[in-house]
Amino acid sequence: MATPYSSDHLESNSIDLNKNAIVAFASRFDPQPYHLDADAADQSIFGGLCASGWHIAALATRLVIETLLDNGLPFVEMTSVSQLRWRQPTFVNEQISVRVALGESLEESPIPDTRCQRLEIEVCNGNGAVVATMTASAAIASEPALVAST
Amino acid sequence: MTDLYLRDRWFEDLPVGEFHVFGSHTFSELEIVEFAESFDPRPESTDPDQARLNHRQGLVASPWLVTAMWMRKMVDYMEVYAQGVNDGRRNGAGVAINDLQWLEPVRPGHTLTYTYEIIAKPDRVIREKWGLIRSRNEAFNQYNNKVMQFEIDILAERQPQESDDSQQ
Repeated sequence: MATPYSSDHLESNSIDLNKNAIVAFASRFDPQPYHLDADAADQSIFGGLCASGWHIAALATRLVIETLLDNGLPFVEMTSVSQLRWRQPTFVNEQISVRVALGESLEESPIPDTRCQRLEIEVCNGNGAVVATMTASAAIASEPALVAST
Repeated sequence: MTDLYLRDRWFEDLPVGEFHVFGSHTFSELEIVEFAESFDPRPESTDPDQARLNHRQGLVASPWLVTAMWMRKMVDYMEVYAQGVNDGRRNGAGVAINDLQWLEPVRPGHTLTYTYEIIAKPDRVIREKWGLIRSRNEAFNQYNNKVMQFEIDILAERQPQESDDSQQ
C-alpha cells in the first residue's frame, strides 16, 4: 500500500556539539583517548578530539524523532538499524543535522498498533558533509495521519 | 603462565571464533531518564508516570543507551584484559554496523550481559595499515532473553612488514 509520505525528504534542525558534550558522553560510554583528550586525539587515527560514533547515532535519532513528529508522523520507537556507517569524525563545535528520506512502509511491525517505516538517514555536519548514514526501521502509530504534507 | 594480552596482538593474530563476555550492567531508572532527556525528551520516555500510559506501559531504556553501554563494557573489558586502551592497536575505531536489532524492552532494574564473538576478517587493507575485525555482539537480560544484537567492523592494526625497506 502506498503511503502519502513516500516521496518526502525531511530536514531537521541542527544541534551544536561542543567539547563539554562530547567529553561528557564519552566519559560515560566511550572513554577512549580520542574522545576525551585533545592532545591524545591529535595523535590518534582521527587527528583531533571528536565525538563518539554512538553519540552521533543517538543525537541523529533525536533529530529524526523530532523531524517525524513535526511532520505528522507519530513516531513510537526505533526498532532496528540494518546499516550504520560512520564516514568521517565529528569534531568539537561542529553542527549536526539529519536528512530523512521515507522508504517503504510495512503493515507488519514488532509493536502492536504500529506500522514499520523504513528510514534512510544522512547525518550532516555544518559544511553539509555527510558524517554518517543510517538505514533504520521505526514503529509509527497506525492511526490515521493527522497532518497532510504540503 | 605467559602474559598473553590482547594488546600484544596484531590483526593477523586475532582468530575468527574468539569469544568474550564483556560483563554486565544493571540499568537504573535515573540513567534511563537522564539518557532520554538528552536523546528522546518526550514525556512518555522521561516521566515515569506518563510512561505508564505508553505502549510499553512503563519506562524503558532508549535503544541507544542499551547499545552505548555495550561500548562502555567493551572499553572497560579491554582496559583489564588488554592492559590499557592507549595502545594504538586497541583504538582503531569502528566503521560500520550491520543488522542492529533491539528485540525486547530494557526496564529499570534489568541487568544485561554483553557478549562479543569474532565472526569474520574481511580481506581488506584500509589506509595501508588497518584490517577489519567483524564481530557479532549480543546482550542478554536476567531472564536470558536476547534483547539486542548487531555486527560491527572495527579497525585493527596490521603487523608491519619487517622486510619493508621503503618505510619513511
